Amino acid sequence: MKLTIEQFSALEHELDTVKQQVKAQLGEQDARYIRRVLLVQRLSAISGRILLVLGFITPWLWLVGVLLLALGKILDNMEIGHNVLHGQYDWMNDPVLHSKRYEWDIACDAGSWQRTHNFEHHTYTNIIGKDRDFGYGLLRLSNDFRWRVRNLWQGGTYLLLSMLFQWGVSYHELAAQRVFAGKKKADRHSQVSDSALKKAFFSKGARQLIKDYLFFPLIAGPMWLWVLSGNLLANLIRNLWTSTVIFCGHFTKDVHVFTAAQCENESRGQWYYRQMLGSSNFTGPTWLHILTGHLSCQIEHHLFPDIPARHYPAMAKQVQAIAAKYAIPYNTGSFVRQYSTVFGRIMRYSLPGGGKAVKAL
Amino acid sequence: MKPLLKRLWRAFCMMLGNQPALSRYLLPIIQQFSPGFLPGHFRARVSGKYWATADMLQLTFRVSKRWQGFMPGQHILLTLRHNGRYISRPFSICSTLADWQSTRSIALCCKVTSGAEFTPLLNQLQNETVVNISAAQGDFHWQQPALPALFIAAGSGITPIASMLLSQRHWLAPVSLYYRYRGSENAALLVQLKQLASRQHLFTLTLSDSRVEPAADMTNALLPQAKDKQIYLCGPAGFMQQIQQRLTEAGVALCTIHKEQFGPALPAIPCETITGDADESARQTTFIRAGSPHQVAASTQHSLLHAAEQHGLTPSFGCRMGVCFQCVCDKVSGQVRDIRTGALSGNGAEQIQLCISQPVTELVIKL
Repeated sequence: MKLTIEQFSALEHELDTVKQQVKAQLGEQDARYIRRVLLVQRLSAISGRILLVLGFITPWLWLVGVLLLALGKILDNMEIGHNVLHGQYDWMNDPVLHSKRYEWDIACDAGSWQRTHNFEHHTYTNIIGKDRDFGYGLLRLSNDFRWRVRNLWQGGTYLLLSMLFQWGVSYHELAAQRVFAGKKKADRHSQVSDSALKKAFFSKGARQLIKDYLFFPLIAGPMWLWVLSGNLLANLIRNLWTSTVIFCGHFTKDVHVFTAAQCENESRGQWYYRQMLGSSNFTGPTWLHILTGHLSCQIEHHLFPDIPARHYPAMAKQVQAIAAKYAIPYNTGSFVRQYSTVFGRIMRYSLPGGGKAVKAL
Repeated sequence: MKPLLKRLWRAFCMMLGNQPALSRYLLPIIQQFSPGFLPGHFRARVSGKYWATADMLQLTFRVSKRWQGFMPGQHILLTLRHNGRYISRPFSICSTLADWQSTRSIALCCKVTSGAEFTPLLNQLQNETVVNISAAQGDFHWQQPALPALFIAAGSGITPIASMLLSQRHWLAPVSLYYRYRGSENAALLVQLKQLASRQHLFTLTLSDSRVEPAADMTNALLPQAKDKQIYLCGPAGFMQQIQQRLTEAGVALCTIHKEQFGPALPAIPCETITGDADESARQTTFIRAGSPHQVAASTQHSLLHAAEQHGLTPSFGCRMGVCFQCVCDKVSGQVRDIRTGALSGNGAEQIQLCISQPVTELVIKL
């Protein structure tokens, strides 16, 4: 323990204050902001799909269409979907922007996401064996995991995972529950049955496949190949972008990893502390923050997952000051720098050995 | 055939836009052109506003052509957008059918409580402001106008009853109204009711001012008339409970009493009989919200909606008095009590309304 019990409760109090200050001023501006993002999302997705068909005039229109559709999907997944599903906008009581009702343009079923991401990942962030997001059960990211031969080619595995990221995310819970393969783990309990998981997985996945690769190509008539390839490309761009952003949040060089024993009976102050050590930010202009759904402020997101994300950059300044006061490392840097350390980590641990990432709390 | 088509259409919309209806997918675009559009609701434009009494604001709305009309006595949910959030409350319609048929307008008579969240906003509504209303709902309406009837109203409880009486065209049987208020200057719709009494000989109006007449006097006066009549009762919860008790004691069959209850429900009675530990006033409640559990010590004296909000959770809500069903949630396990009636729920999985449910045992609830 680097901080004393008193320091932990003081830290808890200071971070709670930061949260309460923002919470007290939520209102019309936040509602207008998210509705405007929603409007831009709808307009870019719809115009993107129209431009794909107009590729016969000039392929440039098709290209713009691909980019607009990708933008629509990225906005839907990141700034809207991810944040709405965290309940950031529940206070608006809006028919669409509510965590109970929102469903997003991605293969993963919203309910499954809420269980694995909102609950498992956000509660047990970076605890080896409890947070399956640390390496997704595919990548060896620290010497806390035994080296296996398959780790030799995990660079390729990573590339494949990034390209198919939406399917990785959607299969995540089924893999954890060993629904299709593997021996059931005795310590895993699920709120939902395997058959319900399968049903959600297949029906959501099928809807997304039918939409992008059957329905829209079909109604495009002779332009079907343009539309199909455009949709494929837009999905690919979205997958690569979301995976890159998310990898920068927890797998940079200096993030801390914990053991389950360390985190037993932790106080809220200690939980805050672990969230700060287990996440990393990257800097950039406002448009970059929006495209990442403000996951560029991963630390603030992990501290305050249900505060509307547009407040994170401002909160980051306060959080960074608090971190400095308690001498807690605050992991931030440029996008390029942070991503290169992620890539370095994946490469390093594909070979045996390497340092342990677990740090003393 | 129709349900199948509906299901197919819904599946199609889910496939296309991940929303159960295209209107929800297109909502941000539609709202650009028609502000105030809200799926499942109707638009209504403020066309008049005046203070009927010192604290009763009468609002007139021109309602959308798609609104299907109402039966006098029914209520609507009025939804406003305030500081970024949608909030709604139920209000009885106090205007007549004839008004709606001739001018497509309805009136609400709303008691404004200063310091409350919703009703003070009503006074800020400008003419031509667009608000949302629900379809007319509720089963409080004059079911058998051919039978003699006794109407009993207190305070703002007069609104649905006035609408029933003033809408009536063909009078077939004697009808009497007991209207109790605090000072005639605070009695809404009194002028219209007096006019009705003077021109319709089958209608008798008996007024009772709570400043001069004790409640028991009025009850004693109306009891002899209550036999073999249809009874319509609307007013504050305490008043209604008293009257109903006196009526049933006097041998009036419960099935002839029709009632509508708004306003804050009675504080519920502690539930010592169920768990045996009456002094322990909180129950461990687990709210599962967006996939993650939140442990809350929910007071047995308040609603679960209150408990969840106190804890910083934000479940969807509406009227906060059990009318609109927007706060319906899945209860996974545990027992709750209905604040309004004291009725106990089962122990297993079922749907409950958070705003009118109090914890009885430990609970697990999916928000």
